[in-house]
Amino acid sequence: MTSEGESVFESTSIGRSVLYETPRGPLTIRTGWPPDSFDGLRLDAGLGRFPHYSSIIQRPESFKEVAARRGSRITLAIAEPNTVAGYLTCWYPAEGERWANLGDLMYEMGAIEVSRNYRGLHIARGMLELTLNDDFFEDKIAFMQGLSWHWDLEGNKLTAAQYRQILMKLCSPFNFREVYTNEPNVALRVENIMMIRVGSRVSPEDYKRFRYLRFGINQPA
Amino acid sequence: MLKGYPKTVVTKDGTTVLLRPLDKTDTEKLHTMLALIPEEEQWFLRENLTDIRLLERWMERLDFNYILPIVAVREDSGEIIGFLRLYRSPSGCARHVAHLRVTIHPQYRSQRVGSWMILDCAKLALEHGIEKLVAEFVSEVEEVAIKAARRLDFHHEAVIKDYVKDRRGDYKDLIIMVKTLYRDWSDF
Repeated sequence: MTSEGESVFESTSIGRSVLYETPRGPLTIRTGWPPDSFDGLRLDAGLGRFPHYSSIIQRPESFKEVAARRGSRITLAIAEPNTVAGYLTCWYPAEGERWANLGDLMYEMGAIEVSRNYRGLHIARGMLELTLNDDFFEDKIAFMQGLSWHWDLEGNKLTAAQYRQILMKLCSPFNFREVYTNEPNVALRVENIMMIRVGSRVSPEDYKRFRYLRFGINQPA
Repeated sequence: MLKGYPKTVVTKDGTTVLLRPLDKTDTEKLHTMLALIPEEEQWFLRENLTDIRLLERWMERLDFNYILPIVAVREDSGEIIGFLRLYRSPSGCARHVAHLRVTIHPQYRSQRVGSWMILDCAKLALEHGIEKLVAEFVSEVEEVAIKAARRLDFHHEAVIKDYVKDRRGDYKDLIIMVKTLYRDWSDF
């Protein structure tokens, strides 16, 4: 986040945090939120329900539910004193989802959103950077499914094609790349996108299993 | 201009296929595939690329500003099994439209290679600001391809009666199908 000013990194037993100076004031991006740590937080007004768009997280209590999921991780961008300006949540795919067939190999970057009032400050990049800077991900195929019906095109004044490009630009510095799949949600619309980052310790065999699973094949021929 | 390639897909029978831009060194392999297209079908091809001299000339003149050529290649053998061309108009007024032509190796039809190539092409088109993809099919001859195009959201835009003739001189209709690449939420 160098374009916005100084940043200070801090690591504690429960997570890591970076303090940024931004044109909108100081902002702390922090990982490692335990389920009982969300009391007193409030969502910025730019997160919520809008005429053509609704945030995935619409009340702070939802973070508690996410944090209670097995292996979930939450990264928040907090504006002084206790306002959530952005969030990134990730988790293991739920049982019954296609990607759960590969056990703990797959890890989903479930949702990432920045308040309409804090966009353009590279907060999403900061949250991704802090979240992914963790050895945990080297054993995982981290994936994200960009589904255009979740995108705030109106708030960003972007077309779906432009939004898709921005998503790719946001994620590619962290070694995410687009892959094809016949997973029905991703395949439903052309602009939808699945991006993956393959951890350095993922074996070729596991990657091959994932490749087949992308096309609905459980066992390589 | 063509970023993010190769793309990997897996066919219904588990064959791993790479989609990537056509390369100057592909001429021989491409000719091998095109030579396998049945003569009945070759008759209807808009470009006679089954002739090696014409194919070489076509390759030499290839300009990615106007033609985006993608091939499907078997990962294990390097054999070309699919060939897609996306033609863009040099005219400003039709720069948002691209015409699509796909040729699939006869042995790999019904393996969804063509479907994946068209989907890839639609994503490519989206990145290049193309809003409409147009594909032409000969009725009664390319019914399988028409069905596949319909599954990929191409719709019948027009039919030109008796536009082409088969080898026996019988008339066939030309079916023009279009896929609109939606640009924002309101189009859904």
